[in-house]
Amino acid sequence: MNNRQKQGYIAAIAAVVLLAVLPLKIGSHSVLSLMHLDVSILSEMLLFAIAAMSVNLLLGYTGLMSFGNAAYFGLGAYGAGLSIHYLNMNFIEGAIIGTIVALLGGLIVGPFLLRRRGIYFALLTLAFGQVFYFIAYRANEFTGGEDGMSFPRPYFGFPGWHTDLHEGSFYYLMLLVFAVVLVGFWLIVRSPFGRTLQAIRQNELRVRYLGLDSNKFIFVALLVSAAMAGLAGALYGLLIMFAAPLMLDWQQSGDFVMIMILGGAGSIWGPVVGSLIYVIGKDIISTLTQTWQIYIGALFVICVLAFPGGLLGTLLNSIARRDVGAPISEETVPHKAWESGAPASSAAVAAEQKES
Amino acid sequence: MLSNVAPSVFNGLILGAFYAFVAIGLSLIMNLTGTINLAHGSFLTLAGYLAFTLVSKGTSFWFALILAPLLTVVVGVAVERLLIVPLYKRDPIFSLLLTFGLSLIAEEVYRLIWGPNGVPFSAPGILGGGISLGFMQFPTLRLFIAVVLAAAMVLLALFLWRTRFGLRLRAAIQDTEMISAMGTNIQLLYMVNFALGMALAGLAGVLASGLLGLSPTMGNALLMPAFVVAIIGGMGSLFGSIVGGLLVGLAISVTTLFIPAANEVIMYILMAVVLLIRPRGLFGTEGLFG
Repeated sequence: MNNRQKQGYIAAIAAVVLLAVLPLKIGSHSVLSLMHLDVSILSEMLLFAIAAMSVNLLLGYTGLMSFGNAAYFGLGAYGAGLSIHYLNMNFIEGAIIGTIVALLGGLIVGPFLLRRRGIYFALLTLAFGQVFYFIAYRANEFTGGEDGMSFPRPYFGFPGWHTDLHEGSFYYLMLLVFAVVLVGFWLIVRSPFGRTLQAIRQNELRVRYLGLDSNKFIFVALLVSAAMAGLAGALYGLLIMFAAPLMLDWQQSGDFVMIMILGGAGSIWGPVVGSLIYVIGKDIISTLTQTWQIYIGALFVICVLAFPGGLLGTLLNSIARRDVGAPISEETVPHKAWESGAPASSAAVAAEQKES
Repeated sequence: MLSNVAPSVFNGLILGAFYAFVAIGLSLIMNLTGTINLAHGSFLTLAGYLAFTLVSKGTSFWFALILAPLLTVVVGVAVERLLIVPLYKRDPIFSLLLTFGLSLIAEEVYRLIWGPNGVPFSAPGILGGGISLGFMQFPTLRLFIAVVLAAAMVLLALFLWRTRFGLRLRAAIQDTEMISAMGTNIQLLYMVNFALGMALAGLAGVLASGLLGLSPTMGNALLMPAFVVAIIGGMGSLFGSIVGGLLVGLAISVTTLFIPAANEVIMYILMAVVLLIRPRGLFGTEGLFG
């Protein structure tokens, strides 16, 4: 374990402890109530962070511009809502079914998305995301259409033991889920699979020359991303006990991308920081003014413009440098070897694999 | 049967022409600069509202039909020069997010100025009636819209394929660096190209507000189908956008007749089928966008 890893563990533990302590009351006040915030805001923040992490896996790590992850998020919410409403599922079953529905959505859409890259890929995610929006919107006898559907939050538990979740205990459950997802995400991006995704971001052609089927890797990344967004959506549905077509909308996808960019793409903690800024900022602004959408929009514009080197680019570079030891770029690879293709690229990917 | 199907086929074609129009504007901007302009719908709506304000201040509809798109071009180019130009050199995700932020701001601003609900905006009386086509009555307004859209497309095609400037524009799509090295002012190209896109959006906005009703979300409602049309027709092909638009319009109108609940989903099914058979789109250039 090197120094940086140690720092990472300490930061992670400190953050989780801080998040756990925030709602605790000292006397009649907690840090949260002093800030006039509700504990469910924190749950929302954690769930949006998971959704933003699902975008991050595609955009930050694999280099695929996904602008449709709200589709999976909304599918998760509807999956949970419909199964609870019509099939009387309990909390855990609802969350699992929501995740599976989102995963199925990814399975259906994925093969089409795989066919393109770059902004074409972004367009496809944008367009395919809307399919589910229209389905939810149009199947109004089943889903409540435009008005959405509300459903009760079932008890949480296993056979033999169960409890009702109020906002406080819900938050701690979310914190647990979040911690598990975070660790899982960390393991994925550091695994050979995750390294290959990052290699695809840096140079897909070289990865293909090495004999790896990049499409397969991207497809799995899409599915993981869909499942993560679906889990977040299912739990978000259980949090607000509601599912609506707007959760599937491209504007919701935009929010997730923005959260990721706010905190920094390609980093594990970026989406968490971004979600904190976004959710709490939105909550504060929307209590102050009716026209909060203007300020959120302005936040987007400023954030994109105020980092001339690119918040995304700078962070990607620094991450690449820290994770791999040296940035993998054409300059670090001997020119002639690079021209001949295979040997240089195997060196580059080998350097990546060694770290994991 | 004919009297039943023919009107909806015509209506579908006109709706499709709108989609094609918006898609061409989007493609122009996307092809040259890689910017997916999510604010395109907002500019469309802006033109509609500007025309509405002009008409309610007493100008004639015809004057507004010309002036509102021009004003939209001015606003659009100002936005492009100030906000989007700094992003051309960066990853396309940034301009995508910027225009997304702009569309959020615009929607709220329209709500503040013109109210959250639709406003009545109707074309002058001369376009109100119908023209008999023998087997059916056809509303004059729709025919007028079809003629204007078709004329604008022809003008655009003439500009792109029959002028020096259009030649440079098309060359820049192939290789921006090369055309710049040969002495063409690339920033001017970007600006004129964006202005063209805005002009198309503006014209579509004014016409659409007469037909579909003017509300803060009108433009965004046209935006998503336009993306689908651009994908079906093939990125980088204006002709493809036209064919794609008409196809989608036709598919929607026919589906509305028989399975009304599926009339939005049908275009996505169409898109999926096209992607399966021909991933680059019907008339797309392979390799232009990966």
